[in-house]
Amino acid sequence: MSTSVPARTTGTRSTADSRGPLRRLLGAQPLGLGLSLPYIVFLAAVMAYPLGYAVYISFFDYVFTAPGMDMDHPFVGLENYRIALTDPRVLQSFGNIAVFLVINVPLTVILSMVFASALDSVTRWAAAFRVAFYVPYVTASVSLIGVWMLLFSQDGLVNTVLGPLAPDPSWLVNDALAMPSIALYVTWKQLGFYILLFLAALQNVPAELYESASTDGAGVVRRFRHITVPSLRATTLLVLILSIITGANLFTEPYLLTSGGGPDGASTSPVLMIYQKGIQQGNPDVASAIGVMLVILVGVLSLVSNRLTKER
Amino acid sequence: MTLTRRAFGATALTLPLALAAGCGRSPVDAAQAATSRGPIRIWVSNNEQELAWGQAVTEAWNTARPDEPVTLQEVPAGASSEEAISAAIVAGTTADLVFNASPAALPDWVRAGGLVDLTTFEGGREHIEQRSGERARGYAEDDGAGGYFQLPWKSNPVMVMFNREIFAAAGIDPNAPGMDTFESFLEGSRQIVGTGASASALWPAPTSDFYQPWFDFYPMYLAQTRGRLLVEDGASTFDSPDGLAVAELWRSLYEEGLAPQEESTDDAMTMGTTAMQLAGPWAIATYRDQIDYGFMPVPSADGISPEETITFADSKNVAMFSSSQNRLTAWDFLTFATSEEWDGKLLELSGQMPLRADLLDTYPDYFAEHPDYTAFADQADRVADVPYLSGSIEIWQRFRDEFSASAIFGKKSVGEALRRAAEQIDPLVQKGAR
Amino acid sequence: MRTRTPARIALYALLALAALAFVFPFYFMIVGALQEDPTTTPAGLLPAGGWTLENFALIDERVPLLRALLNSVVFTAGVLLGTLTFGLCAGYSLSRLHWRGRGVLFVVMLGVQMVPFQLLMIPLYVQVAGSYGLGDTFAGMILPFFINTTAVFIFRQFFLALPEEMFEAARIDGAGELRVLWSIAIPLVRPAIATVTLITFIGPWNEFLWPFLITKDATMQPLAVALANYISNIAQTVANPNGAILAGACALALPVVLLFCLFQKYFTASDIGAGVKG
Repeated sequence: MSTSVPARTTGTRSTADSRGPLRRLLGAQPLGLGLSLPYIVFLAAVMAYPLGYAVYISFFDYVFTAPGMDMDHPFVGLENYRIALTDPRVLQSFGNIAVFLVINVPLTVILSMVFASALDSVTRWAAAFRVAFYVPYVTASVSLIGVWMLLFSQDGLVNTVLGPLAPDPSWLVNDALAMPSIALYVTWKQLGFYILLFLAALQNVPAELYESASTDGAGVVRRFRHITVPSLRATTLLVLILSIITGANLFTEPYLLTSGGGPDGASTSPVLMIYQKGIQQGNPDVASAIGVMLVILVGVLSLVSNRLTKER
Repeated sequence: MTLTRRAFGATALTLPLALAAGCGRSPVDAAQAATSRGPIRIWVSNNEQELAWGQAVTEAWNTARPDEPVTLQEVPAGASSEEAISAAIVAGTTADLVFNASPAALPDWVRAGGLVDLTTFEGGREHIEQRSGERARGYAEDDGAGGYFQLPWKSNPVMVMFNREIFAAAGIDPNAPGMDTFESFLEGSRQIVGTGASASALWPAPTSDFYQPWFDFYPMYLAQTRGRLLVEDGASTFDSPDGLAVAELWRSLYEEGLAPQEESTDDAMTMGTTAMQLAGPWAIATYRDQIDYGFMPVPSADGISPEETITFADSKNVAMFSSSQNRLTAWDFLTFATSEEWDGKLLELSGQMPLRADLLDTYPDYFAEHPDYTAFADQADRVADVPYLSGSIEIWQRFRDEFSASAIFGKKSVGEALRRAAEQIDPLVQKGAR
Repeated sequence: MRTRTPARIALYALLALAALAFVFPFYFMIVGALQEDPTTTPAGLLPAGGWTLENFALIDERVPLLRALLNSVVFTAGVLLGTLTFGLCAGYSLSRLHWRGRGVLFVVMLGVQMVPFQLLMIPLYVQVAGSYGLGDTFAGMILPFFINTTAVFIFRQFFLALPEEMFEAARIDGAGELRVLWSIAIPLVRPAIATVTLITFIGPWNEFLWPFLITKDATMQPLAVALANYISNIAQTVANPNGAILAGACALALPVVLLFCLFQKYFTASDIGAGVKG
């Protein structure tokens, strides 16, 4: 993801008085730094320290201690990373997330684009439709998971309707279906946000493009493929990245929906592993190693997405 | 390329700033705190009855000793309370006393330097060992030779609670179910489900939380081995014929559909979708008005007599945090709250068993009035707990993972699972044993 | 001028179907919460009788709803305050002003989005509760959420989409930067405020883990924590557990959904900003 401005500028546009050295040091409009300062301090205090700390302890044999308790924290280099990577459970969790992303991300991008286009072209009841799509997004997972479990449990509504077609073992305890079930849930829950993003971008596609295309005889599908999709490239990238980040950092759903990680770990996620190892079991060093690897993975996936959407 | 350069620049800038932001936390001067008196805070679980007890004892103390006031705060019950406490220890924001310490998490808190050795107080060891008897030593360092970082407070001995109506409907005599051997237990379960008396025979949570074995595998294992802990003498013990027998029973229960593989969305006992539950005396208060219940001891392979059956204690204990500034007050309050009088009040208000020797003799009136609890009081004399060692939560988690894969979901044989679990757990025991 | 073609009917039908599918779990939740014996059969979806308010009454008994609601309001208001002031300033400065370090900050912002909270939880708690001593305070609850990064993003995008001429004109007239911000930028940003408010609102309102950690005082717990506790611990043990769980779920979901429905006309799509750039 590239930004559209260079890191350094000379004061080309400023018409304010020229305090030479200061301006050269801080850029054309140093007020910018001032305005961002609270945010920068906030990030440093709230994000940077814990993150730096987490990265730091991933290279040591570390245990959290009470204040005043002196304990040896020997440097162990990549040992924690080795432990994490040779733990079958951890590998399984990364595999599960891969399954999740493969289902969730394309589904999210496609469905939100399609629904947004559909919403963009209807006039009646547009508000009602929007509310319907957005409502799952604004509701807490804690609420919805209870409902979802009732729907998809062994004797739940879905299985009752499906009758003999109901999977056995049931959805959430089926190691082939547990993660896909979660993927379905998360897609449903988050879609409203992405629909809104696409809707916004669609507002800026000039109507003339569509009109001239339809006078040229292009049908709905054609117009969609050749006008809508290309115009939405930037938004598609944003949706891709946001859904990858959300998916990779999945925690609440495996935690609540399949408490402890599902049948034989079929729905554990890396963040659930971080939680179990770091917080429950008191191994924050290994947990941090997992966390660092996860962040790197997400970064790589984001860069790949960036590359992919550019090439088109 | 500019992206990476910027990223490095960003980290370089923010890191020193960030590290500066994380200033130190000041430790408590232990020597001074050990001889100080003053206001203290205590943490109590948010269980209704325990809370009521907590409020009563606090009030009584505050009336008697207004210059050393005690403030009560609730800590939500459940596994999450351990996490909240662990975090608080690291931050130095713990209260003075906690009346809800899980013996599984406790050794880690000791390792982190978060707790105070109660034997450093005058009469500390005597108070603990006199009150709880010999078994207190299982809660101390070095197999009882070392210090006590917890006072064994109360237990909920696990027995098998059953629904009398469902048993009757299945053709099992509720007054003498005769399900004391694994064989008869399995038979009885088959009968319950086969006759349609209930959807399932029993319904423990088949989830992968590290503490679930305490309510399915472990009580039966303790009964079967007559009190052998999961880990003893620096090694795991369950990869044995005894462990195998217990695990096989559970495999059969799950395989034959007598216990569901999915967690219940509601309370199965209340809804009548199950006939039995492994539970402690807390269950009496909960189900008193819902079902007609009965209790029987945990089964073992050859049917050990009830008078000799050992079960899981499911204890919760009291610990003093090293953040306490007024330890003398805290200690006095602790002895006050675990006196005969207040242990009795705990019994009255919650029905949970104080970890006191000779309960039946100490509170004859209570048990005369509440015969239901007598069986538990009796059982409370024969309980065993989790092994006292650091890193035990990870050990239980690994055990649960293997048990889940084999007994519950049948992905591998239970024999192999127990072996794999032992392979993973033994090195952990070596690392953490105290 | 669009006519009622079969294509359009199909379009409406598709949307209606999707909308129904989306809303169905909510329907299930509300119906179930009002039932004495919530059903799991299709037949029971339109129950004739068995209605009751008992499930909600029960919640009120065990959970201090009003107090928890108030706590949630304070928590959310604090976050909104921080975001709508400092976040707005940051978004503006990132888009319309040129200064050294601007690109760096943007990259850091992106990075921040990627990090899972659980990785930071304990060090953050140690810092906020230990070093800063903010345990059991609203300040401590609000702090990690004070300025919502997604909101800064959105403000940035929004300001980027505004025509340069407006700002140039003001500068040529001799207005200082602060003046430009105050008289031009802020009045223009009104359409984005609604969207930012909604997005920022959801976080603290539904947040469970952090307030749970930071408060030991039960009277300070926000609605999400109180109800999550209810759903997991208490609801299991009442006479109608399914109903109680659904009622708890409803109670938590209701305020946000209501607010959204009431204010949804303000969230017109163009708020997110034209030309959403990477």
